[in-house]
Amino acid sequence: MDIALKAYGETGILAHHLSEPERQGLGRALIAHQPQGCLEYVWGDDSVCFIFEQPTSTDELSKWLEKINMAVGAPLCGELHEVPVVYDGPDLESVAAQIGLSIDEVIGIHSAPTYTVRMLGFAPGFPYLAGLDQRLHLPRKGSPRKRIEPGAVAIGGSHAGIYSVASPGGWHLLGRTEWVLFDPAAARGSGPDAKKVFLFSPGDQLRFQPVR
Amino acid sequence: MMSLEVLSPGSGIALQDAGRVGWLRFGVPRGGAMDRHAMHAANRLLGNPSASPVLEILMQGARFRVLEDCWAALAGADSCPALPAWTAVELKAGQVLEFSAKASGLFAYLAVSGGFVAERWFGSVSADPRSGLGRTLKKGDQLVPVARNPQVSTQGVARRILRDEERRSYAPQESFQLLPGPQFADFSNQARDGFVAQEWVVSPASDRTGYRLLGGAIAVPDSIRSEPVLPGSFQVPGNGQPIITMVDGPTVGGYPKIAVLQDADRDRLAQCAPGTHLCFRWADY
Repeated sequence: MDIALKAYGETGILAHHLSEPERQGLGRALIAHQPQGCLEYVWGDDSVCFIFEQPTSTDELSKWLEKINMAVGAPLCGELHEVPVVYDGPDLESVAAQIGLSIDEVIGIHSAPTYTVRMLGFAPGFPYLAGLDQRLHLPRKGSPRKRIEPGAVAIGGSHAGIYSVASPGGWHLLGRTEWVLFDPAAARGSGPDAKKVFLFSPGDQLRFQPVR
Repeated sequence: MMSLEVLSPGSGIALQDAGRVGWLRFGVPRGGAMDRHAMHAANRLLGNPSASPVLEILMQGARFRVLEDCWAALAGADSCPALPAWTAVELKAGQVLEFSAKASGLFAYLAVSGGFVAERWFGSVSADPRSGLGRTLKKGDQLVPVARNPQVSTQGVARRILRDEERRSYAPQESFQLLPGPQFADFSNQARDGFVAQEWVVSPASDRTGYRLLGGAIAVPDSIRSEPVLPGSFQVPGNGQPIITMVDGPTVGGYPKIAVLQDADRDRLAQCAPGTHLCFRWADY
C-alpha cells in the first residue's frame, strides 16, 4: 500500500493521487474508524485530507494506512434519485455554441448518464457528480457569477453538480430543479442526523429527468 | 434576564464560537470566530470557557442598549469608547454601547458572563447566512447572557484588564511566515519568488469566506482536480491574484494552493482590514 501523502498546513495531511481502489478502500475504512487524533476528514476528487488535533507526521498516518485492507470489495452503492430538471439555464446557449451542438443535443447528453455522487463539498450538500459526458467537460466561466440560486443544475470541468445554497460560482448553468438538497432547519442541535440534513450521500446514483 | 438590545447591527454582528467540527466532508465550513485569539481573551476576562458564544462585531456602526446591569468584556478591535478593548467592566442598565471608534483591526469580540444564550446548528452557534445556519441578528433583537455574574470575583472590582503580553494591536502593514501549500511544487521558481518579493494589499472584496489580495499577478499552473481546501490556504485563480481562504470558505476547490498560513497567524490575518499591506516569507521547513 503506497499512498502519496503530503503535509497540508500544520495539522492537515493530504492523501492524493488516489487510485479508484484506494479511494474506495479508504472510504470503507473511514466509515468504521478514523486515525487516532484525527478530528475529521474531507474528500476531494482523487484525494482525502485528514485533519488532526495536533501536528502529526505523515509517517504516523502511513502506519495507519498500511493496516487498511484495500482489497476490492463492493463499491459504496447508494440510493438512485431521479431528479426533475427544467432545462432553461442561462448558459445553455453558450455551452451549445462552445461544443458545436444544438441546445436539445446538450440537454440529451446531460440527461443521458446515470451519475454517481463523488463527494459533497464546496457548499453544504453540494454534490460533485461523476459521469459527465466528455463532450461537456468545459473550463469554468472566466468571470464567476456573484449569486447562483439553490437548485441550479450546472456543469464545471469534469463534473456535473447542483447548487445547494445561494452562492457565487463559476459553473455553467443548464437548468434548475425544485428539489431541496440541504435543509438547515434539520441541522439544529449538536448531533443532527446527516440523512435528514442532506438529500444526497456519496455513492448515491442520480439521473436527470427533463420536464416540460 | 435580558441584558442587551440591538439598536443597530452596523457593518455586521454575529454570534460566534469555535465553529463546527466533523461536517467538512458534507461541504459545511468550520465557521466560528475569525480571530480566535480575541474571542478567547474576551471570554477569559470573565472566567468563561474560552470558546463560549461571543458577539463578533465588524468595524463600526453597531449599537446596543444595556437593559440590565451586567459584566461584559471586549477584545480585538478597539472600537467601543465605553468599553476599551482587552478589558471587562460592569455595564449599567440604560447605557448605550456604541461601536463608533475607527480602530485598527476589523473585528471586536464582546463577551458576557457565561457566554450568550444561543441555539446551535451542527453543534455551533456560528452564523453563516449564506447557508442558512445560525441566527441573523437585527434591530430589536435581545441578547441574553448565560449567567448573571462572571465566574471571577467582581466584589469591589471596577475593571479587569488583560496583561500587556496578551493584547494585540493591528498594524497597517503586516508580515507573515508561510508554509508551502499542496501545489507549491507546481508553481515556477519565478512565481514563488514573485509571490514573496512584493507587497500585497487586502482587497475590499474580502469577507468571511476569503481575503482577496491585490498585487502583481504571478504565473499560475493548471487547475487541479477538486481537492479539500483548509482555512489559511492561498489559492491562486487564473488571474494570478491569491485568495486566502477563511473560515466560511468553500471546503473543496480546484485552484492550486501556493502557500498556507501557520494556524496561529489566521487570527492576525483576520484583523487585516482592506488596504492593509502584507508581505510574506517562507518559513523554514
